[in-house]
Amino acid sequence: MAVAQDTNGIKDAGPWITAANPAYTALIDEKHLVSKLYNMVNVPTGVWIDERGKIVRPNEVAFVDDRFKNFSGLDSAPYLSALRDWVEKGSKSAYVMNEEQLVEKLSANDPKVILASAEFGLGEHLYKSGHLNEAIPHFKEAQRLNPKSWNYKRQAYALSDAKRDYGTTFVDEVQKAGGSKVYYTPPDLKPAEAPKDKER
Amino acid sequence: MKSGVFASVFLFFVCVSVSCLPTLAKGSHATIVYDDNVTEVDNIIQDEGQLWITTSDLKRSTNFELKPQGVCRNELCFPVPKSRRGQFVRKSAGRSWFNLVAFAQLVDQPVAHDEALSTWYFGLRLDQRQVLTSLQAPDFTLPDMNGKTHALSDFRGKKVLLLTWASW
Repeated sequence: MAVAQDTNGIKDAGPWITAANPAYTALIDEKHLVSKLYNMVNVPTGVWIDERGKIVRPNEVAFVDDRFKNFSGLDSAPYLSALRDWVEKGSKSAYVMNEEQLVEKLSANDPKVILASAEFGLGEHLYKSGHLNEAIPHFKEAQRLNPKSWNYKRQAYALSDAKRDYGTTFVDEVQKAGGSKVYYTPPDLKPAEAPKDKER
Repeated sequence: MKSGVFASVFLFFVCVSVSCLPTLAKGSHATIVYDDNVTEVDNIIQDEGQLWITTSDLKRSTNFELKPQGVCRNELCFPVPKSRRGQFVRKSAGRSWFNLVAFAQLVDQPVAHDEALSTWYFGLRLDQRQVLTSLQAPDFTLPDMNGKTHALSDFRGKKVLLLTWASW
């Protein structure tokens, strides 16, 4: 299931979906609801969910092809191999995390991160009702409260002139973060040690 | 002088007993965004960062209602602490008022406010957010390109790779 995190909805995401002509479910998330619910901070982010609706691998960078390999330095092959292993073996896959690992990785409820989501939501609402200038301070506040969220930066920059309104650009911010090769944290695909009982 | 002082003291005790709210400011209007539904509300009282709306506007803007057992929407109910009821519910000028910001704090719901445009945005409550201990993937319903909605829970019984992406 692919979910587009695009404030402008079909207008911005639609052409890409049409070009891809996917056989899988492709949804449009104008309000970045999935990012809020799962505490996602960038795209592409993947989550594995089993047949019972349980998370078995939480948020991680998930490239499913190599079109951005030159930028990110990340090879998609290991992730795809792990994914296929899970599809084939289910809960017995070495790439399914146990409960202890999941609890460690899932984000806690940081009040600043939570408030950032409301500031971003307000910014989106004001932008979509024709008040871009009033939206910008709220986008900035979301970025200040949750500086780890690239979604908040990249989406806001895309809705106006980044240099003019934020004094920076996506490229500038990536450079500040150390460059494109460290911009994405590679997924940890070391096979997990099998616990005595993986069923939860 | 004595009658003036008496009148002021009398008014003070009357106000305390009926939990007076600040006088409704002329032209007080707000836009409330709740669960991403937008409602224009014509009568509000803002008091030190708190937002008081009438109980009828509470229903209209949030679909929550004030009931004896608490603030409820269908089967979901949040009890109002009895000792602090006055922080949530008051009567003034013949109307019942509800403090939506105090309720947001009660249910761990973030609130963002744009003063210039009098717009209040209420984000996801704790019960709507990913809970660390459950490991249950939060459900959501979103449209596809044709406007047809799909819920994550529609895929129960299948493995799902949930992948977010963006045009930016």
